[in-house]
Amino acid sequence: MSDRRDSRTGSRPLLELEAVSKSFGGVHAVRGVSFQLTPESITGLIGPNGAGKTTLFNLITGLFPANSGRMIYEGETTHKVCIHELVRRGISRTFQNVELFESMSVLENILVGQHSRTRCGMWGSIFRFPWVLREEQQARRNALALLEFVGLEDYAAQKSSDLPFGWQRLLELARALAARPKLLLLDEPAAGLNIVETTQLGELIKKIREQGVTILLVEHDMSLTMTVSDKIIVLDQGVKIAEGPPREVQRDEAVVKAYLGTTG
Amino acid sequence: MDNRSNWHRIAYAALIVIVVLTGMLVSNAYHLQLLTFIGINTLLALGLNMLMGYAGQISLGHAAFYGIGAYTTAILTVHYAISPWLALPAAILIAMAIAYIVGVPTLKLSGYYLGMGTLGFGMIVHILFREWSGVTGGASGFIGIPPLELGPVSFSSGRNYFYLVWAIVLLSLIICRRIIDSRLGRGLRSIHDGEKAARAVGVNTGKLKLQVFVLSAAFSALAGFLYAHLVYFISPGTFDFITSIRIVTMVVIGGMASIWGALLGASLLTLLPEWLHSFSEFEMVVYGLILMSVMIFLPQGLTRGLMDIYERSKRQPDR
Amino acid sequence: MQEVLQYIFSGITSGAIYAVIAVGFSMLYNSTELINFAHGEFVMLGALSFVTLSGPFQLPLLPAFILSVAGVAVIGMLFERLAIRTVRTPNPIVLIIITVGASIFLKGVGMLIWGKDAHTMPPFSGHPPLDIAGAKLLAQSLWIVAILFITVAGLHLFYKKTLTGKAMEACAISQKAAWLTGIPSKFMVLLAFGLSTGMGAVAGVIISPITMSSYDMGTMLGLKGFCAAMLGGLGSLWGSVIGGLLLGILEALGVGLVSSGLKDATAFLLLLFILYVRPSGIIGSVEVERF
Repeated sequence: MSDRRDSRTGSRPLLELEAVSKSFGGVHAVRGVSFQLTPESITGLIGPNGAGKTTLFNLITGLFPANSGRMIYEGETTHKVCIHELVRRGISRTFQNVELFESMSVLENILVGQHSRTRCGMWGSIFRFPWVLREEQQARRNALALLEFVGLEDYAAQKSSDLPFGWQRLLELARALAARPKLLLLDEPAAGLNIVETTQLGELIKKIREQGVTILLVEHDMSLTMTVSDKIIVLDQGVKIAEGPPREVQRDEAVVKAYLGTTG
Repeated sequence: MDNRSNWHRIAYAALIVIVVLTGMLVSNAYHLQLLTFIGINTLLALGLNMLMGYAGQISLGHAAFYGIGAYTTAILTVHYAISPWLALPAAILIAMAIAYIVGVPTLKLSGYYLGMGTLGFGMIVHILFREWSGVTGGASGFIGIPPLELGPVSFSSGRNYFYLVWAIVLLSLIICRRIIDSRLGRGLRSIHDGEKAARAVGVNTGKLKLQVFVLSAAFSALAGFLYAHLVYFISPGTFDFITSIRIVTMVVIGGMASIWGALLGASLLTLLPEWLHSFSEFEMVVYGLILMSVMIFLPQGLTRGLMDIYERSKRQPDR
Repeated sequence: MQEVLQYIFSGITSGAIYAVIAVGFSMLYNSTELINFAHGEFVMLGALSFVTLSGPFQLPLLPAFILSVAGVAVIGMLFERLAIRTVRTPNPIVLIIITVGASIFLKGVGMLIWGKDAHTMPPFSGHPPLDIAGAKLLAQSLWIVAILFITVAGLHLFYKKTLTGKAMEACAISQKAAWLTGIPSKFMVLLAFGLSTGMGAVAGVIISPITMSSYDMGTMLGLKGFCAAMLGGLGSLWGSVIGGLLLGILEALGVGLVSSGLKDATAFLLLLFILYVRPSGIIGSVEVERF
């Protein structure tokens, strides 16, 4: 196990942030944050409310551009690249408040998730060329496999809004995976889940990593973050105050003061 | 899934049977023309439903594309003596090009602002029809549009035109159904459900909205072409703000995000004024009241609204 | 030069009317985030009822003015109570169609009461036109501009100085928060409808001496008033005034110097321009979500 990890540290980082800053009006949401994500690692991003975690997520996924600093993904800048282009390049995410497509079925939600991996356009859909039908069938097979992966294969035809909340989270996770990401950002995936569901989610996250996906995780549930993460980054008021393996971070004085102290 | 497409096949077959039987049984020329108008309005509603019902983007200026289709074929066939069958692709392509140019800045807006942008565009095109009299005939209109002919078949008879229009309607229903059931359609519906999430899963929402806007303009222009060659005379009043609103109303009353809703809405709104003629001067008052009541009591449109009521009444006796 | 001045005078006259209509739009939008497509019909109702009250009923101008404005405001409040408040899913598309339905309904009512003929009205006062640098300024124009500023100043004071006005502004910011502090937010919406449609009626009254009034006059006036409101920044009182005057002047100059065909197009070209370039309006500060 330790051998594998050593070989990883030698490789180029998948994502690299250099002194990234973002402010809204006069509020500095993120200030000069730098870090690197090693391929196939799980990184936990923690910090008290208003620390800038979600802003950082939105910056990485391209929802809005940074005011200053650089973000390098697979050796290329992501500055002012459209969101759909970033998804095509392999950055995928889930939302803090589950954002499913409510009028669509469970299966269709995953099919939309494959939007960036399929190419049927206006003419293709009207004339239904053989390759379009093949693509559609393949997409359905992929979708069913993903549903099986998260354990929702029996509910493919249900309306997504009819699922219980915990399953909606799983569906959103499967939808994010449908884009075949290299980097997966999970925004508080355990929020609203019970202990059993959270444990299962932890197993699922590890399984996703085993498939070669790098994961960045924002989470309030410390038990989940500390058990699955290889590395923890701590933000406070937009500034990175600590970075390291879970056990070291837990002992870090600044962290205890800024985060664990205030919430405990 | 397969159940649903079977259901649609049955509905298509039923529509064909109804159209063929109606064409054989109805001989009154006025009634045939009215039924043809329903077909033309269905095309309008269908196009706008793709934009409004599926992609969730409102347009209060769609009469502009309807008019562009009609005026393009009128100008080309009368002033330049071009065959209507060549004018048809020209009309559709011009409408699509204009939709593209207008759509790029307009579709960046949302909600009321999008409504206002499309409204402004529709008004400008309407004023252009009215004031550019050298080309469009101005406020008094454009006369002498030729009837359609295809080899030995003349569409100047009401029955043939009726069949032509409804064949096109059927084809359009199938095209829209296929688009909705495809990757593209799922992308559109995802914009309607939540644009933020749609973008996050990799849907190029800007491009898709523009595509469907252009598509709906094409349907409207097709309807305009069919309208012009049906009545041989067009005037700016047919393509004004009220018409844009009427198309929106067809979509909403029939039921958004449903191709059959477009058919229902178009039928009702075409027949309603006929029925209201008996109210003579009370026509507008009753029309306005009906619009308001439907929206207040069945905001989902008639298709969905009546289905809800039916389901509730079915459940009631159990309690 | 003299011509240009003449155009500007007539532009200010029609601009002041657009401004009054725009203020009505803005006030309603401020309190309810609703755009009332029937607003133009309230202008029509105001104009025609004023013509009837001061003509066949022979009321003096002032009571006729007050009665018609109050009457129209009551109709506006009835409209809110009977139609708008009963809507179960208040999304923009549903509300747009309801107000359009109301517009058709009111137009039908107007036609039933006043017929299809146009009605005219003598100016408020018999003063001869003023001669300024060779251009003629009608006394009625002065009346119109004066009434615009009096009503808008009155509204300004109402919003800033009275408790009810402040409560309305609070509702505009957050209905829920206002309700929690004990402001009857439903009543405020009703009041906003009354004030807004009342302003529409004021526009109808002051326009009646300079144009023919008929049941179908409302639609275009409503749409142009709306353009003016957008131009100045939807929701802003003084912005609407500036937007209205600007629209009136540009329209008059466009007609005079370029082509009369441009008259109605000016408003909508300006509307598109402002939407594309600066959707918050000339002096609006509200950030508009553009994606």
